[in-house]
Amino acid sequence: MKRQLLLPRFLLLAVFLLLEAASLYLLNRNAELQRTWMAQGSHWFMEKVWGASQSVRNYYSLAEANRQLALENFALQEQLLRCQDQLRSQYAEDQKVDSLSGYGVIPAEVIKISRNKQHNYLILNRGFADGVQEKSGIITHNGVVGIVDAVSEHRAFAFSFQNSDISISVRLGKEGSNGLLVWDGIHDNGAILKEIPLQNHYQAGDTVFTSGHSLMFPPDIPLGVAGKAKVVNGATHEIEVTLFQDFSSVRFVTVIHNRDMEEIEGFEL
Amino acid sequence: MKRNEFWKAYILLLIAQLIISNYFHFTPFVMLSILPVMILSVPIRVNRFSLLFLAFGSGLLVDWLSEGLLGLNALALVPVAYARDSVLRMVFGNELIARKEDFTVTSNGLASVTMAIVMVQTLFLIIYIWVDSAGSRTLLFNFGRFMASLVAGVLVSLLTLNVLATETRR
Repeated sequence: MKRQLLLPRFLLLAVFLLLEAASLYLLNRNAELQRTWMAQGSHWFMEKVWGASQSVRNYYSLAEANRQLALENFALQEQLLRCQDQLRSQYAEDQKVDSLSGYGVIPAEVIKISRNKQHNYLILNRGFADGVQEKSGIITHNGVVGIVDAVSEHRAFAFSFQNSDISISVRLGKEGSNGLLVWDGIHDNGAILKEIPLQNHYQAGDTVFTSGHSLMFPPDIPLGVAGKAKVVNGATHEIEVTLFQDFSSVRFVTVIHNRDMEEIEGFEL
Repeated sequence: MKRNEFWKAYILLLIAQLIISNYFHFTPFVMLSILPVMILSVPIRVNRFSLLFLAFGSGLLVDWLSEGLLGLNALALVPVAYARDSVLRMVFGNELIARKEDFTVTSNGLASVTMAIVMVQTLFLIIYIWVDSAGSRTLLFNFGRFMASLVAGVLVSLLTLNVLATETRR
């Protein structure tokens, strides 16, 4: 019954719209001012409606854009490591010393990360099937994120740098003294650089780099900037470091593995 | 017979509208039109589809034979025809439509009839003035034109209704 009533109503509306369209068409053809006005109206409509829909489309394509950027970032990191590798090899050749460098890199995405504990962790969407191995480092272009602890076929469990058990061997400045960098346990981007001998020169604002001594991370990855320092036990400096890495937004990472790790560890046994 | 008389009166008023459109140019503030009330008073028994086409045809004829823009009166009058039954229902209630009776000042009261005329005139004038100015006039001018045209249009429409009202012609 309702359907029977709806059909004539739709037809009536259709005829109404048809006649209005015909009137507008006649106006458009015969009146210059109205033609210009309608053209302006149509441009406004196109700008607002299609412009808005384009913004929505752009917003929803951000995930894809991020993925593309991450892949690009990964390719650049790989290129950078290869360049560093070449430089080191060249240096070693010049010095007549064999190069021990050589890192494999794998792009990965963080699928879970904890940030509100003292022993934080993260889970990656890559496992041993993708080439990820235990004791691999996890980095981004902003610095170190963590260390892989356990690997399954398609997932990897890692200790976040925001974990009080993790320390990284670092160097203060390009040629400065070595120390250990640990999370300060409080801030998202706060760390403490320990064991810097008192006699070593230090300036606030110096960049902290990976030293390359840990075997998990290649040297010269910038991690943060040194801040205030205090003397501990009258023997060493403890320096506050502001990290470049923002752990609240970490998503795309690079897993980095030292190909020579087993060989080097063999010497240590 | 009554039906024929209505259509004769309708044609005469259409000619009157043509004369108004061609010669009534005393002030740019007043746009006098009796077309809305003519559509309002078309007998209810006339099919709504036919009413839409009648409004379109009447508007187009006035546009074509007067100095107006072709399509402007048609554009403003077709919505009046589309909304006619809703206006009648709102002002006079559902019974008038259900019984397919025509409204008159005597049976429905001057206030209600004036209200219905104001509503269709308003709808017509808003579209007419908005499209006619095409963004080239200020809002204040358009508002002044609308108010002056509404007052003049309602007064002339009330007089016109006497010509069209079936009861008067009995």
